[in-house]
Amino acid sequence: MFRFTEFLSIPSLVAVSLFQLAAAVADGSTARRAFSVMERHCLSCHNDVDREGEFSLQTKQSFFESGFVEPGDAESSYLLHVVEFDGNEPPQMPQDAAPLSQADVDLFREWIAAGAPWPDGYRLTDTVVDNFDWWSLKPLERPPVPQFEHGSPEYYRIRTPIDAFIAKTLQEHDLPSAAEADEHTLIRRLSYDLTGLPPTPEEVRTFKNATGPRAFEELVDRLLASERYGERWARHWLDVVKYADTCGYDKDKLRPNAWPYRDYVIRSFNEDKPYDRFVEEQIAGDVLFPAEPDGILALGFIAAGPWDFIGHVEVPESRMDGKVARNLDRDDMVSNTLNTFCSVTIQCARCHNHKFDPFTQEHYYSLQSVFAAVDRAERPWDLSPEIQQKRFALAEELYAVKKTLQEHDRTVRKDGEPELPEAEARVVALKAAPATDEAVLAAAQARVSEILTRIVTPERKAKQEELLAVVTAVEEKLAELPEGNMIYSAATHFPPNVNFIPTKGRPRTVRVLHRGNVLQPLHEAIPGSIPLNAECDWHLPLPVEHSEGDRRAALARWITADDNPLTWRSIANRIWQHHFGKAIVTTPNDLGRMGQLPSHPDLLDWLAVEFRDNGRSFKKLHRTIVTSSTWRQASTHNPAAEKIDSGNRFLWRQNRRRLSAEELRDSVLSVSGRLSPDMGGPGYYLFELEKADHSPHYEYHKFNPDDPASHRRSIYRFIVRSQPDPFMTTLDCADSSQSTPRRTETFTPLQALALLNNGFTLAMARHFAARIETPSEDRTQQVQRAFELVTGRSAVDQELALLLQYSDRHGLSALCRLLFNLNQFIFVD
Amino acid sequence: MTSRRDFLKTTGQGFGGLAAAVMLSEHVGATGTDGVMETLHHPAKAKRVVQLFMAGAASHIDLFDHKPMLEKHHGEESDFGEQIEAFQNGLGPWMTSAFSFAPYGECGKMLSSVVAPLGECVDDMAFVHNMVGKTGVHSQATYLQATGFQRPGFPGVGAWVSYALGTLNKNLPTFVVLPDHRGFASNGPKNWASAFLPASSQGTTIFPQRANPIADLRADAEFVTTASDTDGRTLLRQLNQRYNRGRPGDSRLEARIRTYELAAAMQLSAPEVFDLSNESEDTLKMYGLDRAGSTWPAEINAPEETEYFGRRCLIARRLLERGVRFIQVWSGNDNGFPRRNWDSHENIRRDHGPLATGLGIGAAALLKDLKQRGLLEDTLVLWTTEFGRLPSTQGSLGRDHNPFVFTNWLCGGGIKGGIKHGESDQWGYKPLDRDNPTEVYDIHATVLHLLGIDHEQLTVRHDGIDRRLTDVHGHVIHELIA
Repeated sequence: MFRFTEFLSIPSLVAVSLFQLAAAVADGSTARRAFSVMERHCLSCHNDVDREGEFSLQTKQSFFESGFVEPGDAESSYLLHVVEFDGNEPPQMPQDAAPLSQADVDLFREWIAAGAPWPDGYRLTDTVVDNFDWWSLKPLERPPVPQFEHGSPEYYRIRTPIDAFIAKTLQEHDLPSAAEADEHTLIRRLSYDLTGLPPTPEEVRTFKNATGPRAFEELVDRLLASERYGERWARHWLDVVKYADTCGYDKDKLRPNAWPYRDYVIRSFNEDKPYDRFVEEQIAGDVLFPAEPDGILALGFIAAGPWDFIGHVEVPESRMDGKVARNLDRDDMVSNTLNTFCSVTIQCARCHNHKFDPFTQEHYYSLQSVFAAVDRAERPWDLSPEIQQKRFALAEELYAVKKTLQEHDRTVRKDGEPELPEAEARVVALKAAPATDEAVLAAAQARVSEILTRIVTPERKAKQEELLAVVTAVEEKLAELPEGNMIYSAATHFPPNVNFIPTKGRPRTVRVLHRGNVLQPLHEAIPGSIPLNAECDWHLPLPVEHSEGDRRAALARWITADDNPLTWRSIANRIWQHHFGKAIVTTPNDLGRMGQLPSHPDLLDWLAVEFRDNGRSFKKLHRTIVTSSTWRQASTHNPAAEKIDSGNRFLWRQNRRRLSAEELRDSVLSVSGRLSPDMGGPGYYLFELEKADHSPHYEYHKFNPDDPASHRRSIYRFIVRSQPDPFMTTLDCADSSQSTPRRTETFTPLQALALLNNGFTLAMARHFAARIETPSEDRTQQVQRAFELVTGRSAVDQELALLLQYSDRHGLSALCRLLFNLNQFIFVD
Repeated sequence: MTSRRDFLKTTGQGFGGLAAAVMLSEHVGATGTDGVMETLHHPAKAKRVVQLFMAGAASHIDLFDHKPMLEKHHGEESDFGEQIEAFQNGLGPWMTSAFSFAPYGECGKMLSSVVAPLGECVDDMAFVHNMVGKTGVHSQATYLQATGFQRPGFPGVGAWVSYALGTLNKNLPTFVVLPDHRGFASNGPKNWASAFLPASSQGTTIFPQRANPIADLRADAEFVTTASDTDGRTLLRQLNQRYNRGRPGDSRLEARIRTYELAAAMQLSAPEVFDLSNESEDTLKMYGLDRAGSTWPAEINAPEETEYFGRRCLIARRLLERGVRFIQVWSGNDNGFPRRNWDSHENIRRDHGPLATGLGIGAAALLKDLKQRGLLEDTLVLWTTEFGRLPSTQGSLGRDHNPFVFTNWLCGGGIKGGIKHGESDQWGYKPLDRDNPTEVYDIHATVLHLLGIDHEQLTVRHDGIDRRLTDVHGHVIHELIA
């Protein structure tokens, strides 16, 4: 008799089945351990679905029917032979995997010898990680802030609780901290951190001369209030959600109306929209905030990733390739949601249960069913919900009438077969032939008319006209509706395009797929989320009768719940990363077992709680971070500290960083006096667009960098997914085909060539030179001004001499080009 | 003392470029100068790879996989013996190849007349006729062959190789891509992107006919002269060193200075690669480049396709000689019209004819040229495409997609010559042995194996998974190895 022992909480990094865990601590039953070995090593091929070698060991019946086991007689059992070494010959099974250990083989022998006991009804299952004992799943509680004795050196450095947490860890590791950075460094670092742009020389001077005790805080407030702030921080967000202005895949069609989502993100940061609201809008804004334009604009999130035009438009959903395309499309929606908001790598559970975290295929497909009714398409957005409904209804009616009309025509033509198509083909052929006798052609055309007259009876003609009249009437009604602007976002209603047909809000049936294979569907998945502990019900609280939008709304609410520990830890970690170059958990999209452990777990929880309980305000969090002593440290090297913590994990100094691709390009525009402050709207091209109708060509090398339309911040550029901008890519900008929670930072010869020779650099060098070449100043002043604009400080004697010497020989434009290549321009201390 | 690998890991600053700059003088080992692998997993047979990629799906049964049954039953109603889903509507009658086949070499390999020049090489080539794909959609299938995954977001084969082994030269990129100059195949540069590997491992596209064959190689501005560049490098070094002196302990700062020196070296050496003027007349003729300055008709034609593909093959050889590790040569652009790729839904003879003629001449020239220069023994050449084409007719002269079977061939770099591995069935519809097909994972595993890399050991942690080129699949095909 088998008893399932209660779940026992044992910290373990290994994927183990509940059964195995129970077995390990219970009575050590041989059978249980044998089942566990089979589940881990055999079941993936020999299950009821795959039945490889026409053998399944999933149930008692199928196992014993095979005849591979003689209960009680191990040596006569075929099963044992195939898993054992035959001399030096490796065992036949498991195929393409490491042989079983001798202990496992002995276990089989022992179990078979004991009669191979198998409790009735017991079924082997895929291994499941059921251990919830993991830091990021623990409830979120505000940790106590470490206290330091009044008078201790640490005490005086503590400006915010952040400093106390950091000081404690530094103390534990016997690490020093760096002195506060000088004012020039601080204002330059702060400007880039918060706005992605350099301070002007005037701003630097003002800050250096400011004497008030709150000069720094005032600077922080001024920068946070600047609209440049949203432009900078939206870019971080768009990196994670894979935003681009084309679809990717084959043909890489344009998305001319993706940009309203990009503008929505910028605006949300600038308005300091509470984070829970920001999240909810992006998943289910149309349901939760139907009266707000943002409720629809935000849905660009769901549509942000790549989309396979061929797999959706040219291939019907009934075919394998169509199924694959749609499955992968939902996969992107699910992973984008869970990666972005919860830092869970749920995509690992598409083909099998997650191997390291306690999430199963069941959870994965239950999340797919949340998105089962939405596709990526264009929809109007600045309309009232009533007009929206009317438009949907009319569009639906139009589609239906056109379909009837088509069917009617088809019936009519059918009567003309086979003569009609033949006669028509003959006309086409005659027309195409080089020398056709007019009379022959006329006769052929007459033949077509003759057949048509026969088959288009007066009743049929009347019916056709009647249908056409309805089409016209509905089209007129549609035209009368206010137009509305379009956004590319999640949509349930849109004009069909060949095989790409809207669900009209009726969710597709999502089934759990055996091994993720669309041709092996199992049972239907029920809308759900993921479990955060062993006891919770992970199904979404939905009534039997619910709309597709209710599913998304329920998921959104689950994510933003106060007691969802992943959500708040995830976002606090992301924000921290962009202030220090390194996150507390250095895998921001993965707080699971394959991710890294937090360097400062208490600090992360404090930040998460502070953020959650204090207005969910990004700006407050930024302020708390950048006003800390920790953030204000210099990035100075310290050989002693380096020996203890070479990666600066514990923040004994600030991290020096290279400017990102966007910061670099925007800074070049800015110092050259070319940066337009215009915000929003369609993305500007940095390429010539050719052959846009079929497979667009994006010809970057033909672009004229003097085009003033392109002299705006880089976040407003039109991002091509399959053919990313070569200049920006060389500078490590994000790849919009994948979520990029953290940019890489490389230094390559191609980067040097790009910064020296790219048409953009050269054009800007000319503008920069023209800007500083003012008649009122002499050459020395001009060169000094150029240097200040680029570095925020004055050139000292020797530097100035070198710069002057160069500009005298080669001109100001040549000098300006070089200034864009200075380390002190490229790096932020 | 931290190992090189540890150093690269802890700096966390993108391996390639930094390492290229910092390590150049210190480590020139078995794995080049900046690869992540300190030592090979096992001795390598190949050092370099050329991948020839036919965009649009080249027809195996019209080029390399001879099917007498189609000749016999041409025009008869096709019967696949099972329900089949065509991508479009290409399930018309059986259609014999538009081209005739004849045996070549000692091995007697049957080749189509349009690729006849490869007949001289067949005894060095190994054909895999039982390749199977997963999808008949160009984009996904191209991704699968180019990156090992059907979706965007994964590194190209060449990026993995660059990442693992690093460079063999000092002044050219490690991984070079020669696209069809008329446009990119499905997915464009994502086929050779670095994805989650450092950006320095991505393929560098080269367009030999452009003023700047490598992007930004030269400045196009009146104020930039040789003198301004020379003086400029000096000034940059002086100012950057001043800045760096106040900031010890940060190797990136010095590394950046070195990138400018490497860039200058590349500027000097790259133009020479594209200058074919010192190639002999015989060589140019062999590659089909003896009609310089010709003008071409608007219709697709063999001499023009030969000039284009041959030029890319010759430049590939010159790049190999100069130590480029991985070269991808593309034939064919996107799936637009008029067709300039292998997606012959309408007319095999019209489009495959010229394209294959160019392929046959260019590829044969490359193989023979590498052989006579002693480079073929450690250069692996892989011919591939996203899938095959159906033995039935589409329209009256075309063929639809066939993801169920297609052909790859390999040559040099430790490959056993004159052999076939795996066969397709009598129609060229599916593998003869349906239970034992060859997949791209097996080809990739074999390529890595020949380079001294165990495909299961070359992994990178990304978003919770230890990613590798071959996902969770792949077997080295030992039968292919000499």
